[in-house]
Amino acid sequence: MARSVRLAAQALALALVVGLLALLVWRVVHDSNKGVSQALRDGEHPTAPSFDLARLDGRGRIDLASLRGKRPIVLDFWASWCLPCIQESKRLETARKTYGNRVIFLGVDTKDFSGDARQWQRKHGITYPSVHDGSGNVLSEWGGLPIPRIFFVARSGKVVGELVVEEDLLRYLRQIAS
Amino acid sequence: MTRLALVLLAALLVAPVARASDRHPSQAELEGEVMCPVCGTTLDQSDSPAARQIKRVIAQRIAAGDTKSQIENRLVAEYGEAILAAPRRKGFGLLAWWVPIVGIVGAAVVIGLGAWRWSRAREGEPEGVRLDPALERRLDDELARWERH
Repeated sequence: MARSVRLAAQALALALVVGLLALLVWRVVHDSNKGVSQALRDGEHPTAPSFDLARLDGRGRIDLASLRGKRPIVLDFWASWCLPCIQESKRLETARKTYGNRVIFLGVDTKDFSGDARQWQRKHGITYPSVHDGSGNVLSEWGGLPIPRIFFVARSGKVVGELVVEEDLLRYLRQIAS
Repeated sequence: MTRLALVLLAALLVAPVARASDRHPSQAELEGEVMCPVCGTTLDQSDSPAARQIKRVIAQRIAAGDTKSQIENRLVAEYGEAILAAPRRKGFGLLAWWVPIVGIVGAAVVIGLGAWRWSRAREGEPEGVRLDPALERRLDDELARWERH
């Protein structure tokens, strides 16, 4: 009896150690995911990580994977507390007038109050749809803070670039819209 | 028994205070328990625009008469569980509170049992090495002779 109890205790201890090791390995592998922004800097063109988030206007959800193959996408990560986001989103709104029939403009309101975000869109005249990423998990996959971050996704689903300087906007728009 | 009574008494004294805090939370209390989503600190340590936004919302909800749980639920609905500096004492969050306690108590029990078994084993040991009776008699004789000189 004592022997079987001891064996069970040893098996339990071993299972615990193996479990903790597995957790450590998972964590290390998980952390090695460098994000879209870093991949672009390394000269790669990764497939856009998919997400399925609620629309800010309350009209259902948007699944990024479902847009793949339809039209290229401009993805704008923003928040109502982010001052530089105002200018960038307004520039995208202007570009939408020219490219809106060929390119999908989609905002991702991140780490933000949805009520404030809706108010912010109305105040600044931003009409392209946005989804709400309150936890910032989607933003983390794309590169994390700081925002604004604007990515250009080709029709194939590959991310072709991130806006770094002002000139990038028209250059990438022409590239993905062609 | 007396200790148990004291613990129960303390719990009874603390419970109404906790309930009052839930009904009428203070701004400072919540700022110390809610994270700033962009700076990795609690709100009271940050003056970033994102932190200021949440502080403003907390102030509005306190003024509107929301309880602490209502305000926390609202923040969690917007930002996820990570917005709280400490996991909540319910559901899966309970694990974070109980696992360390169970671990410490378990370790104390294991160490205590080990120490008890070790001391029992020591008690069972012979007190010393017993000499052969003839050798012992001879040793006594030798010592007696040495003392006489």
